[in-house]
Amino acid sequence: MIFLLLLPASLLIMTFFSYPIIRYGWLSMHASSVITGLEPVYNNGANWYRLISDQRFWIDLFQTTRFACLSVILELILAIFIALILDQRWRGRGLVRALTLLPWALPTTVMALGWRWIFNSPYGPIEQLIQILGYDQINILSDPNFAWIGTVLADVWKTTPFVTLILLAGIQTIPEDLYEAFRLEGGKPLSALMKITIPLLQPYILVCLLFRLAQAFGVFDLIQVLTGGGPSSSTESLAMYAYINAMRFLDFGYSATIMMASFIILIAAYIFSWITLSKIKDLTEA
Amino acid sequence: MDNTQQNKRLDRSMKSILRQNLLFTILVIWAIGPLAWQLYTSFSTADALINPFNDVMNRWTLSNYKLILSSETPFWRYLWNSFVVGIASTLFCILLSIPAAYGISKLKARTSSIIKTVLFGVALFPYVLLFLALLEIARGLNIGNNLLALSIPYTALSMPLSLLLLSAAFKDLPFDLEDAAKLEGLNFFQRLRWVLLPLIGPSTASTAILVFLFSWNEFPISLTWISDPALLTLPVAISRIAGSSVYSVPYGAYAAATVLASIPLLIIVLIFQSQIISGLTKGAVKG
Repeated sequence: MIFLLLLPASLLIMTFFSYPIIRYGWLSMHASSVITGLEPVYNNGANWYRLISDQRFWIDLFQTTRFACLSVILELILAIFIALILDQRWRGRGLVRALTLLPWALPTTVMALGWRWIFNSPYGPIEQLIQILGYDQINILSDPNFAWIGTVLADVWKTTPFVTLILLAGIQTIPEDLYEAFRLEGGKPLSALMKITIPLLQPYILVCLLFRLAQAFGVFDLIQVLTGGGPSSSTESLAMYAYINAMRFLDFGYSATIMMASFIILIAAYIFSWITLSKIKDLTEA
Repeated sequence: MDNTQQNKRLDRSMKSILRQNLLFTILVIWAIGPLAWQLYTSFSTADALINPFNDVMNRWTLSNYKLILSSETPFWRYLWNSFVVGIASTLFCILLSIPAAYGISKLKARTSSIIKTVLFGVALFPYVLLFLALLEIARGLNIGNNLLALSIPYTALSMPLSLLLLSAAFKDLPFDLEDAAKLEGLNFFQRLRWVLLPLIGPSTASTAILVFLFSWNEFPISLTWISDPALLTLPVAISRIAGSSVYSVPYGAYAAATVLASIPLLIIVLIFQSQIISGLTKGAVKG
């Protein structure tokens, strides 16, 4: 009976999650491009050799990791403070909470287009303000050294609300008495943050980290619209490289290899950090 | 003496209220500033765009909105397409998740916790990496350019989160409740319809909103499944606008498009704020 109830949902999840992974594994061992007439032909791991010596893949891996780490760290720090602000009793809190949630709810492409206008040089508001203040234009999105910072900023704006909400839920589980006792013992508010709030928020922070790192590692929409991967591929992510290979170069075999590799790297990173975290935990508890 | 102390205290609480207001204001500006800028831009003439802070009196126009609403595929068409996909995937997903979530909640603790861990792992997966295989499915079955077909992958992709939320809701119901209903002689479907569903209503609502938001905002799969300009969903239509002319500056029209695209979500967020928040936090905490 239970089996029957579970069947349709499991079938759907298998088709749309498990099948693609298996398919990529298989396709990554085949050449399937315009040269082979888009028919898969076994090529003895040539895709994987090509991947290892493909500089663009490694650069994109670096860029993706850089983007993911910096945005998630900034989001966590900002989110803790915003959650603390929103936790205070205040009359308009409900409305403020709804408004801060808005960036998260908007389609990524919509807000990416908005940010492109904000970063626009010379007509965007940032450049105009800089001009009024008498500085030189920075034109952040067309500088290969700095364009990625623009993508991080837009991502932080968009996903901080999500992290904030989860941390806020965590903060609200911490009993008020703890702070009261800490204050009576002469503790300062800032050390209360370090000694009570953050340690007790750990499980919530961990959930955010897990979820946001995976999502940021797969960043696609935001960069596609904000910079298109440019200037000179300096903001291109792995997902975009896989997309370009499939849709522009019509090289499905190699595109599948890139996605399979991203998948393996992501899982390896999670296993690695899980082991490290539990080792650190053992050490601190011992 | 007493008076000065009271004054001091009053002073301090005034200060803290002021500080709180200041923090709230900064927060609101940070959250909606970029959107407000879009709104401002969308009503500006092309000339005014070049001087964003000048000419306050003569900069206003509705021409940007007229332009995008009267183009070959009027903009409301994309809103409608996204709405259709969103509603269809939400319905499919809830209809399929409820029985499965009920099933999960009835499994042995060990099995159900394994299933939940797997589901959590799947929910973490950056689904954009699936687009190529899903595109092959669409081509193989010849179901590209079909909004209802597009809602099938959306249903599948939001299923893990939906199952986690709903099975937690079933688990929270009192244990004897169903036994009592069984003793009353209600069969499974009657129990579901009259006893269980009304009680998991709030969780179902949160789940439904989250699924709808996901489908409304999804980009990579819609980008590869739909090529007919009249069937584009909103996020893809926006990205097409963005890609069409990189070097000219039709930003007034862009801004009008982003404003129109944001309004439905603004309404959804204001109305369903508490459902969204409870869905997200429960998903995180129970997952």
